[in-house]
Amino acid sequence: MGEHHEAVTADAALIRKQRARKRMGKCLPYLMLLPALGFILVFKIYPVISVSVESFFRDGEFTFRTYQILFSDKTFWNSLWTTLKMNIVMIPLQVVVSFILALLVNNMVAGIGVFRSIYYLPVTMAISVASVTWNLMMNVNNGVFNSLLSLAGIESQGFFTDAKQALWCIVVMATWKGCGYWMMYLLAGLKGVDQSLYESATLDGASYFTTLRKITLPLISRAMLFVIVANTTANMLLFAPSKLITEGGPQNSTNVLMYEVYKSAFRNSNMSRAGAITTILLVIIIVTVVLQFRMMNKTDE
Amino acid sequence: MTRKAKQRVLHILLYMVLTVIAVIALFPLFYIILASFRTDEEIFKYALPFTIHTIVPVEWTFENYRIIFTEFSFWRPMLNTLLVVCILVPVNLLVASLAGYSFAFFDFRWKGALFAVFIISFMVPTDSIALPLYSLISGMGLVNKFAALILPSVSSGLAMFLFTQFFRGIPKDLLEAGRVDGANWGQVFFKIIVPLSVPVFITAGLMIFVNEWNNYLWPLLVTRSEEVRTIQVALAYFKDENETFWSYIYAAASISAIVPVALFLPLQKYFVQGVTSSGVKG
Repeated sequence: MGEHHEAVTADAALIRKQRARKRMGKCLPYLMLLPALGFILVFKIYPVISVSVESFFRDGEFTFRTYQILFSDKTFWNSLWTTLKMNIVMIPLQVVVSFILALLVNNMVAGIGVFRSIYYLPVTMAISVASVTWNLMMNVNNGVFNSLLSLAGIESQGFFTDAKQALWCIVVMATWKGCGYWMMYLLAGLKGVDQSLYESATLDGASYFTTLRKITLPLISRAMLFVIVANTTANMLLFAPSKLITEGGPQNSTNVLMYEVYKSAFRNSNMSRAGAITTILLVIIIVTVVLQFRMMNKTDE
Repeated sequence: MTRKAKQRVLHILLYMVLTVIAVIALFPLFYIILASFRTDEEIFKYALPFTIHTIVPVEWTFENYRIIFTEFSFWRPMLNTLLVVCILVPVNLLVASLAGYSFAFFDFRWKGALFAVFIISFMVPTDSIALPLYSLISGMGLVNKFAALILPSVSSGLAMFLFTQFFRGIPKDLLEAGRVDGANWGQVFFKIIVPLSVPVFITAGLMIFVNEWNNYLWPLLVTRSEEVRTIQVALAYFKDENETFWSYIYAAASISAIVPVALFLPLQKYFVQGVTSSGVKG
């Protein structure tokens, strides 16, 4: 009897202790999130909201005036088109190149780690440094690219100084710089694919490209969509080459929206215009991201 | 052709393709470094026709490096950037790993919604909000102060995401074993989780370092004077009223490019491990 009683009190103490622990455990996750959440709220979410709200106000009054002015501005439409044109080419190009790189470095052959590292190195270069470097290499008069072209008997190209080529030179440069990063995430996806699936496919006589399309791509769809989403948000804002190399030219051919924001805000002190363009950029990005997430969920089902 | 011979041919082809891409990846890096050891006139003189000296210097000179440190005090933006990074990396790692710990191992109300907030904020790049952020920082009176360079970068969604994904791969049994042995959640974190997560700490640390070292737009907006100017912004100041000193820029750009590479190469084993084990699995 006494033994039983003791056991009960011990149990009660244990339960009390567990309850206290549980209560503590209830607050703890919030406490640990607090610093990160605080920074995100103040330095990410608040600015997003404030810029969107402010773009609808002028002299303290709610108005669409800023947008009316913006939408009747030809420079804006040209700039929007330049941004979209650049990204419609650049995003698929980077995703395809990154995927090919990931497939290549997923081969388990001797020294593959070295190649993996080399392919990642351009990522560690600052966009400002990459701009300086590519501007030097693509110089009209003394750039190494034109020297190489002369070897093949091709005449000197204008590159960044040619209104027809400048935007595509930026695309080439950004692809060179960016693909190693996305390659890593796609490689992570490929590493998660069960090898035995490939073996059985090979035994069934499936060709390389059939296996790629029917097995690899569906199985890495999550990694793939993550890369597409993150790549989109990163590239929509690329403007350092426009600022450092071409200053938006020649003939406004590289005048992307983010560069318009920069010029409006910090050269012309037109904060409301800059705010409105920022809002439009954010809307484009958020719509794209939401669409991609929905696609991601669909493929999951 | 026998199967073995076929495989050997495929192998050789693979290495050829790998090497060609490696040359494309490395060429600009080598080119800018070699250009930094020559004068502008020399680069121009040997541009055409194409010979080895189009790329490799004829007369190696260290003048560019000497001048950027003596006359342009390039050590100053380097030290400024290092200072910012040295504060940012540990703070960011702590904040992000705690959040990841919370998301990976605890169940609580609003968890899904909070995680969505984190992911969305990670998807909205800092550059897109540079303008309103500038108004905020300027309202706080922080323009041209180190705090302006540090505060907005603490909320790195990417690091938080990496930690959450990596921690999710750690078996919960390990934690419960620690809890049964009487360890509190803090001890579990520092004694069990952190030692298991070295690769992801290195990966996230490296990413934060490289992002900050290479950060361009934000420092361009909030630094006004030499005292706080960071390395990428300083690249634009090698000029006077009449002339841009390109050779000095090449030297400074080479230094800027070499530092992350020097950090990345010895740590790349962990980095690949960190990304692949915590990355978005198939």
